[in-house]
Amino acid sequence: MIAGAWVCLLSPFAGAVAITLAGQRVSRRTAGWISILTTFLAFGGALVAFFGLWATDPSDREQLSTAYTWLAAGDFEVQLQILLDTLSSTMMLIVSGVGGLIIWYSLGYMEGDDEERRYFAYMSLFVFAMLLLVQSGNFLLLLAGWGLVGLASYLLIGFWHERPEAVAAAKKAFVMNAIGDATFALGIVLLVWETGTLEYFGVFEDVGALSTTTVNLVALGLLGGAVAKSAQIPLQTWLPDAMEGPTPVSALIHAATMVTAGVYLLVRASPIFEAASDVQHLAAILGAVTLLVAGAIALVQWDIKRVIAYSTMSQIGYMFLGAGIGAYGYAIFHLMTHAFFKALLFMSAGLVIHHLGGEQDIRRMGGLRRVMPRTHVAFLVGSLALVGIPIFSGFWSKDGIISSARATGGALGWSLWAAAILGALLTGAYATRLYLTVFRGEESAFAKEHAHVGHGEGPRSMLVPVGILSVLATIGGLVVIPGVWEPFLTWIDETAESLVMPTVAEEYQISVLAVALGVAGFYVALRAFRAGRQVVTNSGVWRVLEHKLYFDELYDALAYRPAAALSVVLRRNVEEPVVERSLDEIGTGTIQVGGEVARTQSGLLRSYAIAIAFAVFVLVVVFVAVR
Amino acid sequence: MDGPDVGWYLILAAILFGIGSLGVMLRRSPLVVLLSLEIMLNAANLTLIAFARQHGSLSGQVFALAVMAVAAAEVAIGLGLIVAMARRRIVLDVDEARALRG
Amino acid sequence: MGNVLVWIIWLLAAAGCLATGVAVVSLTNPFYSALALIGNLASLAVLFLLLSAEFLAAAQVLVYAGAVMVMFLFVVAYLGGRADAPWAGGPPLLRTAAVVAAAALLVEVVVVLGLAWGDNLTDPADVSGSFGSPGEVGELFLTDHLLAFEITSIVLLVAAVGGVVLGTTPEKEDAA
Repeated sequence: MIAGAWVCLLSPFAGAVAITLAGQRVSRRTAGWISILTTFLAFGGALVAFFGLWATDPSDREQLSTAYTWLAAGDFEVQLQILLDTLSSTMMLIVSGVGGLIIWYSLGYMEGDDEERRYFAYMSLFVFAMLLLVQSGNFLLLLAGWGLVGLASYLLIGFWHERPEAVAAAKKAFVMNAIGDATFALGIVLLVWETGTLEYFGVFEDVGALSTTTVNLVALGLLGGAVAKSAQIPLQTWLPDAMEGPTPVSALIHAATMVTAGVYLLVRASPIFEAASDVQHLAAILGAVTLLVAGAIALVQWDIKRVIAYSTMSQIGYMFLGAGIGAYGYAIFHLMTHAFFKALLFMSAGLVIHHLGGEQDIRRMGGLRRVMPRTHVAFLVGSLALVGIPIFSGFWSKDGIISSARATGGALGWSLWAAAILGALLTGAYATRLYLTVFRGEESAFAKEHAHVGHGEGPRSMLVPVGILSVLATIGGLVVIPGVWEPFLTWIDETAESLVMPTVAEEYQISVLAVALGVAGFYVALRAFRAGRQVVTNSGVWRVLEHKLYFDELYDALAYRPAAALSVVLRRNVEEPVVERSLDEIGTGTIQVGGEVARTQSGLLRSYAIAIAFAVFVLVVVFVAVR
Repeated sequence: MDGPDVGWYLILAAILFGIGSLGVMLRRSPLVVLLSLEIMLNAANLTLIAFARQHGSLSGQVFALAVMAVAAAEVAIGLGLIVAMARRRIVLDVDEARALRG
Repeated sequence: MGNVLVWIIWLLAAAGCLATGVAVVSLTNPFYSALALIGNLASLAVLFLLLSAEFLAAAQVLVYAGAVMVMFLFVVAYLGGRADAPWAGGPPLLRTAAVVAAAALLVEVVVVLGLAWGDNLTDPADVSGSFGSPGEVGELFLTDHLLAFEITSIVLLVAAVGGVVLGTTPEKEDAA
């Protein structure tokens, strides 16, 4: 089964390399199929690993496999090693499975694009990087995967590089993630300093011996990285802009997998966070704030992809909340169900965008239910799962988190619970608003003009994955039915034992409340839609939400303007006069010195003779003195 | 040995050398420069022979003879150069030969 | 009595050397300068004799004064009026520097000699009567200093060839 894990990791990498090396020699479709097949091969490897692990004794379920020693400095060693345990095998399945479906979908979506091969190479690179992240056995390799997914994200957001907005968005994503990478790296450095190792097991054993300050700092560093990568407040501004990339990219990277890496980190490093409980609670609080803010902003967005992006931000807030209070099982469970229904939503949106020839503004859409029936069903399923209607997958996972918050109790627990419950209301509202505006009502004039009638809703390569995900979004939650069977939770518990487990009664009470609020949100949005107005009517509130709470403006003033001004000052006062001028002056200076020296070569023989005479004089003095 | 000590010969040779070097450095006619060069060489010869006498070793005289031979060769070439310059109607002035100017 | 005689001869020869040396350097007519040099060489030959270098004195007179100076005079005669060498100037810095250099060298040598006089320059070695005779010098040339002998002969060969080359008539296009 370890072999399965290695196959899972290396197969997408091989795919990326193969596509890169083959270059123009393979057709675009072939490049696409290479990518798809290697990813499904990875999924196969993940299945082998998973079932192999399942068949092993629970006490033996942490398998570390080392390829070779990557770097060694004295006593400190970092191996190229992968860890196969319950958490990593689950993540492997999610990443390779959903990834494979999305890459299959992009075969149809990206058809006709000039640079398809580059796209598929990048996608395979991304899958490899994400697998490296979840499979690594030590923090350094995790950081390597972390950085690589950031790179893949940059490359794919800016895929259509002729568009300046895409390039700007890619840069923004990369820079904001770099902030997180920096704190992450600092945290790791502190770990090496204090414990002398970066292997998970080594670190987790030594956590108890570290001082509180150290543990808090390390946890803060890791949290910084998680917040940046998962687009939580305060490092969230890059995610909406990242929608400039192709829709499958948004589905894979910015919904299903990369942005969930932060949650994975919180769960994986749970021993550290448990030792630094204040930081762990901070993560929960950040998650709660984000879920509310993002849910509110989603109510005023006009771009279909941006609504879904804010929804992602909000749902990851739920996961952060869950991981922050120690409900690791539910957090990862929600990660999985969210991967299903969010990817589904993005891909259905992609079908709509494709059908309308690239239009993404929902004000131009409407009544698409009749023209795109299958997409409509898929989108509806995704929305129901998102809102958390029973029996769809989101219901089981989200309510698990909310009830865990209730079960935590105390001031923290109750305030988190309140935020989460309120979030359910917002989720219902914005999801309904989106669904109704796009699919219901009158067919908009734009839709009538621009629809690609005549060739169905989309090619099979796009419809089949959407169908598969619809099924998963519907039944994928049935692996946790409180009180009946909870194999998923027990599975994850083996790696990261949950700190809080709500009782069955609590679970069902909360579920009722959450569903009620979700339905309430549905009604609010429905009434607004029927009345032909928006959910948010107050123009002041609208403006604040539209500007995304002015975060972009704040960061622009705080970070960008001073940096730009500083660079201008430096250029004018340091680079030009000192660096450039000095380089110029080296040239002119050398010529000048050369000119001066050349004056001794007067050509006058007599002066040469005199010079020789003086030289002889000096030499004789030297000889005599030495004797 | 009768007469002055070897040292006096050496001092005489040194003065001769100085005179010759003055001639080399101060005169502009290549002919006179060559003649001054001869004086310098002869001064060196005198020094060699004086030391040969001082140490009782004939190697000094052998060296002086070799110097004489080389000086003769050098004068031949030098005069050849001067004649060639004259043939090509170049002014016989050391300061005019500026080809080494850098 | 012998000592005094030697001293007198030495002083005369030395005076002759110096006087003719200054004449060579300062006269404007190169013909006279060459003649002065002949005188210089003759005075030096006397000094060589005083230093028991008989063979060398003879060689000096025969080779230097006899052959080399005659060559000089030939060239001066060939050049005729063009060989006139007035005391032309040159940058004054140059002239001062020249004088300073020469003076520095002279002073330096005198100082060194003075320092070494007591130890090294008194009591010359006792030499036999055949010291400086052609036989002994020749013997050294062919035994200890054979290499010098051979190399000198090569130098002379090169000079001969060079002389011939320099003396070739310039080609027709080589007009001044």
